[in-house]
Amino acid sequence: MPIELTAPALDTDKAGRHLPGDPDLWFLILAELLTFGMFFVAYVGYRAMEPAVFDASQRTLDRSLGVINTLLLLTSSWAVVSAVRAARADRPQVVPRYLAGAIVLGFGFMVIKYFEYSAKFAAGISLNTDTFFNFYFALTMIHLGHVVGGTVVLIVLWSNARNGRYHSGNMRGIESGASFWHLVDLLWIFLFPLLYLLR
Amino acid sequence: MDEKTSLRYQLISAWCGPAFVITFIIFWLGFGHNFPNPSPSLAPEVLKTRYLDNLGEIRLGFIISMITVCLYMPWSCVLAGQMSRIEGKNMPILSYLQLIGGALTVMVVSFSAMFWAVAAFRPEASPETFQLMTDTGWLCIDLQYACTTLQMVAAALVGLADKSKVPLFPRWVCYLTIWCGISFFPASLTGVMKDGPFAWSGVLSFYFPYFCWLCWYSTASVFMIKEIRRRMSVAEPAAAGRLATA
Repeated sequence: MPIELTAPALDTDKAGRHLPGDPDLWFLILAELLTFGMFFVAYVGYRAMEPAVFDASQRTLDRSLGVINTLLLLTSSWAVVSAVRAARADRPQVVPRYLAGAIVLGFGFMVIKYFEYSAKFAAGISLNTDTFFNFYFALTMIHLGHVVGGTVVLIVLWSNARNGRYHSGNMRGIESGASFWHLVDLLWIFLFPLLYLLR
Repeated sequence: MDEKTSLRYQLISAWCGPAFVITFIIFWLGFGHNFPNPSPSLAPEVLKTRYLDNLGEIRLGFIISMITVCLYMPWSCVLAGQMSRIEGKNMPILSYLQLIGGALTVMVVSFSAMFWAVAAFRPEASPETFQLMTDTGWLCIDLQYACTTLQMVAAALVGLADKSKVPLFPRWVCYLTIWCGISFFPASLTGVMKDGPFAWSGVLSFYFPYFCWLCWYSTASVFMIKEIRRRMSVAEPAAAGRLATA
């Protein structure tokens, strides 16, 4: 979703506090948070019905891969923040470098997820194994879809940034994309403890 | 065709949207017994009994649904027209995309109802046949949502690029549209899941995405009708003036 492609150029950026990016984009972000909030409530609800099944299945998850993925996303968010800072400080030549870093980390997340999934499938575990794995695969796959979409957004930002498009006078596109990427990161910060750690 | 007639057809076409929703709630959800819908984990015999117990209603429900689903077509046409005005003299590809997205949505929804109508056609068929047709119908509607997602994304992108003094859609509606399009993704899981919240009878693969679709469709309809009314109020005095001088 290269949203910022069509967003009109910066109009009112009144001095002081404002929502980063296109203010209306926050409607989408809020809606996404509510959607995942609903998924999490459903997860906790179903968990309460079969705590033993959930506990047993949860133990088969590879926590270290989960931790690595958390670190990858957190680092990529840091890179995106740095890119936004560089753009605001009018150092447009640095912006694409940070964005490229974030993109690589996003791909890293996908690769690790691929290994995690294939290990599960190799062990004969599938989406239908039990209610826990229903949720595990469904929620992580929906989230992975967001990672893919967010990476596409970052790639669009990166290609625009290579042309020096983002600077203190034009922050709207990069701030919008960055806000979406932070959302993807934030959702994982909720998903990870819920699926891998909550006992 | 004069402007007044054109605007009247536009208004009627836009109102086909709400008419589609109402007829679908009555015939597809109600008579078709899709609220709640049959679980994919139902035994074939139980599923067959479910059809036989409500044979007349299910037949009526889906046969009428296949007619009224076509109300989605004029609605998509109005939206395409309004979008192409925003795209201006540029190539109206997003309007086209929205239009074929809408047209194919009609086919996806129509075919799913047809499979259930076929299931209800021969009550003497084996329970496995009922199961197969029910599966085909549900997977048809739940796995092929991408036509509708593209329709929505096209509408949202045009809406976001709208620089008119009074835009067709407020920007938040455009983001609502994108979010609703995203909310369909869990429906892909219905291709694998037979039980739980992500199966085609589940909260997160049925009730939630269908509700999101309804949110988008109703909101978009409201703003489309508003836009036509606005143009009517501008056109009417002029038309009256023309009549007076004729």
